[in-house]
Amino acid sequence: MNVAARWALGAWLAGVLACAAVIARTEFSTDLSAFLPRSPSPVQQVLVEQLRDGVVSRLILVGIDGDSADRLAQISKRLAASLRASGSFASVNNGEGAGFEKDRDFLWRNRYLLSPAVKAERFSVQGLRESLEDALRQLASPAGVLLQRILPADPTGELIRLLEQFAPQAKPRLYSGVWFSKEGSRALLVAQTRAAGSDIDAQERSLDLIRGSFEQAKTGSEARLLVTGPGVFSVTTRERIRHDAWRFSLIATALIAAMLLALYRSLRVLGLGLLPVASGALAGIAAVSLAFGSVHGITLAFGVTLIGEGVDYAIYLFTQNAPGAAPQTTFERIWPTLRLGVLTSICGFSAMLFSDFMGLAQLGMFSVAGLVVAAAVTRWVLPALLPRGFVVTAVTAFAPKVMALVRAAPTLRYPMLVVLAVTLAFLLMRPQPLWSGSLASLSPVSPGEQALDQRLRQDIGAPDVRYLVVVRAPDEQAALEASERAGDSLRAAIDQGGLQGFESPASYLPSMKTQRERQAALPAPEVLRQNLQAALKGLPFRPNVFEPFVRDVSAARSMPLLERASLQGTSLALKLDSLLVKRESGWAAMLPLRGVTNAEAIAGKIGKPSDAQAVLLDMKHESDQLYRTYLREALTNSLLGAAVIVILLFASLHSPRRVFDVLAPLVAAVLVTCGLLVLGGVELSIFHLVGLLLVVAVGSNYSLFFDRQAPSGQDRSRTIVSLLFASVSTLVGFGLLAFSKVPVLSGIGSTVGMGAAMALVFSAIMSRQADTEGTTYARTP
Amino acid sequence: MALVIAAAAGRFPAASAQTESKSNWDLTQLMRDLRQVKTARGRFVERKYLAILNTPLESSGTLVYIAPGRLEKHMLLPRQESLILDGETLLIDNEETGQRRSFVLQEHPVLWAFVESIRSTLAGDLQTLNRFYEVSLEGDASRWRLRLKPTEPRMREVASEIRVSGSGTWVGVIETLEAGGDRSVMTITRDAS
Repeated sequence: MNVAARWALGAWLAGVLACAAVIARTEFSTDLSAFLPRSPSPVQQVLVEQLRDGVVSRLILVGIDGDSADRLAQISKRLAASLRASGSFASVNNGEGAGFEKDRDFLWRNRYLLSPAVKAERFSVQGLRESLEDALRQLASPAGVLLQRILPADPTGELIRLLEQFAPQAKPRLYSGVWFSKEGSRALLVAQTRAAGSDIDAQERSLDLIRGSFEQAKTGSEARLLVTGPGVFSVTTRERIRHDAWRFSLIATALIAAMLLALYRSLRVLGLGLLPVASGALAGIAAVSLAFGSVHGITLAFGVTLIGEGVDYAIYLFTQNAPGAAPQTTFERIWPTLRLGVLTSICGFSAMLFSDFMGLAQLGMFSVAGLVVAAAVTRWVLPALLPRGFVVTAVTAFAPKVMALVRAAPTLRYPMLVVLAVTLAFLLMRPQPLWSGSLASLSPVSPGEQALDQRLRQDIGAPDVRYLVVVRAPDEQAALEASERAGDSLRAAIDQGGLQGFESPASYLPSMKTQRERQAALPAPEVLRQNLQAALKGLPFRPNVFEPFVRDVSAARSMPLLERASLQGTSLALKLDSLLVKRESGWAAMLPLRGVTNAEAIAGKIGKPSDAQAVLLDMKHESDQLYRTYLREALTNSLLGAAVIVILLFASLHSPRRVFDVLAPLVAAVLVTCGLLVLGGVELSIFHLVGLLLVVAVGSNYSLFFDRQAPSGQDRSRTIVSLLFASVSTLVGFGLLAFSKVPVLSGIGSTVGMGAAMALVFSAIMSRQADTEGTTYARTP
Repeated sequence: MALVIAAAAGRFPAASAQTESKSNWDLTQLMRDLRQVKTARGRFVERKYLAILNTPLESSGTLVYIAPGRLEKHMLLPRQESLILDGETLLIDNEETGQRRSFVLQEHPVLWAFVESIRSTLAGDLQTLNRFYEVSLEGDASRWRLRLKPTEPRMREVASEIRVSGSGTWVGVIETLEAGGDRSVMTITRDAS
């Protein structure tokens, strides 16, 4: 080992250690921030907050079936009790009246501060008269039995009004005190985790807790547990990706290792082959961590894919090593071509560095750093570690057959042109857009799971929140006041039929201002007594029956105003917590809407200048919008990258014709891959785009090597055999992933598998190097 | 709340139950007789005597029973309101305001106990009666009285006893004694129609 090699090795070791040190302190995030632009609009920010830790993201819906209703009810009660005791859930609701007494008591004590009907007119002679006549009618009806007990203290019916206001819109039916589905075969339970929906580890723990508690609660019953919800989806998805990624990469690694071992006949060389990618990945993570402060999960997953090209570097070096030559010399021979290949990829990916989206910028940074390091390790570190005189003898066996194929390939030029023209026409004439604009296209949730989710949601009547009015304000009171104003606009929209209803934090905790107004509307005891006396004239009520009413109203006039803490211990507190939240800066209030039929009209009302803090958020529309912008930007940057690649090739090859020779196979591979995917019924998503980028990165090496002037025929055949090995390993590695059920894995797998194979085949077909006489052919567009 | 009715003996062949020997007439026999009634109609007048009122509240209307689970109470005075009990749901339809509310009985145990005192009596369903009440019978087939004492604590807070009296398969008076001393009496007469 010479001095330069020692230095290179030393520098590499130091680099690996430095990267490891940086990575050890790196934070990895998994939330949706990667899909957020650098300066998100308030609506986008709210959207991501909602998806990350909104109420809906914390819901776990549970169904229990497969036994008699009585047994199921027992299991449901036991399960609920142990989940409540665990402390991991903000609420566990299975229909049991737990906590209801407290709620009722709270509403009763504070009815004059909470009821929106509390206005001065209601306590005038006429207002009271109307209430009393109404009460009389109610007494005659069956519900009267319950009314007559509270009537003396609440003749204006504030408690009933509040109970109706807070009653859930759709409730599951009760059997034996717990919730059941309509047909009565399934007991139902809703749990809300304390942890945010985006905290997948915590969601997984909650899920394990539910499963474990169920096993204990069922005590020998045949009952079956069904769980669904956003958290459940995240956990199963991660589980499935882990499982598939693990299984497929194990098989792929075994296959590729077997192939390479057969070729190299050396375990040491096999291990060395991994050094470039491994070092590149370390460097990529460290670079992103230093530049951005944290590394996103998506960056990691996609980034490692993008630098997959690095695996090929070692194959080129090892396979092209000629007998008797020092690895160093081999490398100096192929380095110019490989360097151009690396530069091409780097140019392609670096456009993403300037993206407005943090996720894309990170991806750009990762792949650029990763590839530079992978190439440098191959160039300066590997040759020094390669055993002296190492030669892939198998090359000689393969070479004649491979070269025969390569020589025959150009006869396929015309058929290939036809295929290309047909593909292009097919892609251009399709009426549907090529790229899916819906975030749902990324959803790894199977149709079966979606159906279960839908069923449990319907059974339980859980909100499928799509529309929300979001209010932002500097402090809690301002948020509540703005919610009340937004509520007024929404009530107007209800009257016009634009929506069915809404929930507001101000229903649970009215602003101080409103509470004071309500107190001011309550008359003094002597006035109330007089009004009451006048109102009672001619009615059959006994005198002084309503003394408790006078007492309660008088107490309410000076009672302490409600604060957040006043709700403690009631289930209303939980509701309030989910609708009124303190953010890093200021407060946010959420008003979920129900039965929206005219979103535009509502947005118009809410958006009035006076209510500028309130916005109507359409979760589905906004998230799709966000994804579409992200995808569009990724596509634009990729095209920009392509333009840079063209410029780079012109600068290096100095010949439009050679530039065309290098690019044409790549363009053809990308087009045909897209065509095949679309033909297979796939809507292209961001996963496929990442796959296509890798096809260009890997494929550019193939076409560059085909284009290269080889000093000798033997050298050229070694080169081409090395390309074959590289592309077979890519095909095996990624092609296997195509069989995964997880969209991200199968999307990338099928794209790269197909694309890489086609890039090689097309490079061979379009090659004009010495192997055959160059035939002229029409230039493809 | 409400009900009841009559199988006009002449109209329903099922009335053959009446020919059974009177000597071994008991609760079981009464229930069996009542089970023969498939449908019945009547008019009711209900008076509520409440502590907070100095005159009784009176309401009146019609009742319809269709075996085994449907019971309709159409109040015509002082306002129009219908109560329709079918299976396990109770629908209250205020025809004046157009407001309709439905209740699932299992969610409202007190309401459930109330409606079963009448429906299960009409249906001759002793099993359901026993689920909510301690049942005792006085009198004979021509003039009987069922005394229903609630067994559930929550129901006992509201009602102390319900007395259903009748003759043959006709239920004539339902008297509810409420825990607070209030009471209501509903008298049912055959529908003239």
